[in-house]
Amino acid sequence: MKLLRGLLVFMCVLLLGTTSLPNTQNYASAAPAGGKVYQIGTDVTFAPFEFEDVNGEFVGIDMDLIKAIAEDQGFQYEIKPMGFNAAVQALEANQVDGVIAGMSITDERKQKFDFSEGYFESGVVMGIRNDNDDIKSYEDLKGKKVAVKTGTEGYSFAEANAAKYGYTVVPFDDSAQMYQDVVTGNSAACFDDFAVLKYGTEQNNGLKVVTDPEPGASYGFAVRKGQNQELLKMFNDGLTNLRASGQYEEIKAKYLGENAETSASLSRWELVKVSLPSLLKGLGNTLFYTLISLIFAFIVGLIFGFMKVGRNPWLRGIATVFVDVFRGIPLIVLAFFIYFGIPQAFGFTMPLFLAAVLTLTLNAAAYVTEIIRGGIQSIDRGQMEAARSLGIPYRKAMLKIIIPQAVKVMVPSFINQFVITLKDTSILSVIGLVELTQSGKIIIARTFSSFDIWLVVAIMYLVVITVLTRIANRLERKVGHNG
Amino acid sequence: MGKIIVEGLKKSFGKNEVLKGIDVSVNEGEVVCVIGPSGSGKSTFLRCINRLDDITGGKVIVDEYNINDPKTDINKVRENIGMVFQHFNLFPHFNVLKNIMFAPMELGKQSEKEARENALALLDRVGLSDKANAYPSQLSGGQKQRVAIARALAMNPDIMLFDEPTSALDPEMVGEVLGVMNDLAREGMTMMIVTHEMGFAREVADRVIFMDGGYIVEEGPPEQVFGSPQHERTISFLDKVL
Repeated sequence: MKLLRGLLVFMCVLLLGTTSLPNTQNYASAAPAGGKVYQIGTDVTFAPFEFEDVNGEFVGIDMDLIKAIAEDQGFQYEIKPMGFNAAVQALEANQVDGVIAGMSITDERKQKFDFSEGYFESGVVMGIRNDNDDIKSYEDLKGKKVAVKTGTEGYSFAEANAAKYGYTVVPFDDSAQMYQDVVTGNSAACFDDFAVLKYGTEQNNGLKVVTDPEPGASYGFAVRKGQNQELLKMFNDGLTNLRASGQYEEIKAKYLGENAETSASLSRWELVKVSLPSLLKGLGNTLFYTLISLIFAFIVGLIFGFMKVGRNPWLRGIATVFVDVFRGIPLIVLAFFIYFGIPQAFGFTMPLFLAAVLTLTLNAAAYVTEIIRGGIQSIDRGQMEAARSLGIPYRKAMLKIIIPQAVKVMVPSFINQFVITLKDTSILSVIGLVELTQSGKIIIARTFSSFDIWLVVAIMYLVVITVLTRIANRLERKVGHNG
Repeated sequence: MGKIIVEGLKKSFGKNEVLKGIDVSVNEGEVVCVIGPSGSGKSTFLRCINRLDDITGGKVIVDEYNINDPKTDINKVRENIGMVFQHFNLFPHFNVLKNIMFAPMELGKQSEKEARENALALLDRVGLSDKANAYPSQLSGGQKQRVAIARALAMNPDIMLFDEPTSALDPEMVGEVLGVMNDLAREGMTMMIVTHEMGFAREVADRVIFMDGGYIVEEGPPEQVFGSPQHERTISFLDKVL
């Protein structure tokens, strides 16, 4: 118990240290003073439409546009950067009210969503590595690989023409990964929306554009079919007003015009320094979710663990099924199921916080159950018999004789589970949880500096886990001495 | 107080029937030694008396309690039956004193002060006063078993069950444990002892029971069972061990 308390205190100190930093991620446009606050899902990595700037502010054409429209029409909203696929699924599952994420208006999507008027004309272009002079047209791609981002126009275009030009499609979930695949030479080229790729090349992502934009669909703001029609109307009305006032062109020019802002190329050290606040905040979230989930997992695991060693065959069966189910489902599938699947099936909104904690808790609880069962069963049967032969009732014998001994056996496994859960929080980046890994992704989406940021992220995980394990081991030795 | 009556006791583990019908009664203050080859069901028989093993047939009555009656509060009955195990089963996370004080205090029989005084007196009785604050891991096998006896005595039972108490000991430590048991027998404790120590059985037992194959094959005073065994299997067993 002393050990647990020690760990808790240390994590709380860490949490306080990281979360008391200036709050750099302020997505909400205005404090909810009354009336509905619309939840707007978006991508995390779709510069210049949405991305985090050096100050940790979420900016881009989409962001400026929705902000201007909200001011014009007088509604309140909150931006949820969750990744493109996650945002689309969230809209289907009623987790958000609308999505603005450079989403092309396609017939397929119109089946499920209602779109605003197009607010941006897109067009797919081909990007290749800066120093590559061999590829000039689609014909040069024969036998090569083409990187695309899932759910984009570039993806549809690549799929449609793969047979014609004889290349293989390699799908990625975010733009930065797609570009990186081309830079490292795994893929020969990537297909992406013109505006996006052009912006990337200006930020020195290592690519160049070699084709003219294909005629394509336009981007629209989406709501779930038949729902939030008032929001859709406000968007259209606002857009019309912005076009009339010229504000629309200003926003576009801010990111795509001749004088578009480019982040001055920072030195590596400076880049790490400006990224650190966001990363530390991400780390704080990682620790926070690990801690909360493990506390719940411990409680749930305790209950199921005792059901498993108990004498009631029904309870034993239930506990066994629980362990089998949640140990058998990959964490990423569980996260998708809880966050997107369940709300869609039952028609309610699942807060991200709840989904994240639930996913980690259920997964960890399955393992904690087994740790507790194993710990208790590792204690010699003679201990229980000796206690019972003295007239001590079962529960009391369990509590005073078996558990104190079992805890010592369990501690190393608990430390191990703690490390695993801490690392597993990174998987929740797929549902848009801004923990350490997602924070890294967001920065890379802006800066394209994969090596530096992933290195820093890896070191942060390493340091935290090493320090916490060392402390836990020391406390464990101390506990061991007392008996 | 301290009377045991066993009638037609049967015990099976799955399809394996270990006890095939045991009838025996032990009187107050009587010392009964149970001998026999390994696998004959001696230990199981002993464990059925305080229901560490549930019986499959027959009856076990300790004083006025029918052990297997669902209405019997087994914990209450067990308070009056001390048990000593082959492998001691001391609580490793408690020191010697706490091992002995645990049950009386936990069950509200004695205050901490009483329990401590009682425990120290018991330790004196088994010759281990200087080990009160030691942990079980710091004791020799013989010392552990003497602490285990003191622990079982702490509840002031009328009956003591010993399940091969010296089988896990180095030979030079057997004597100290048997000495303590000998003292107990003299004081009039009802005792059932499963043992391979034939010399000890001959010396302390009021009655010796020879078991084989799940039955009681022969029983009687030690001089009769050891001196002129009647049954062929008893003769062949004693030939091997004596």
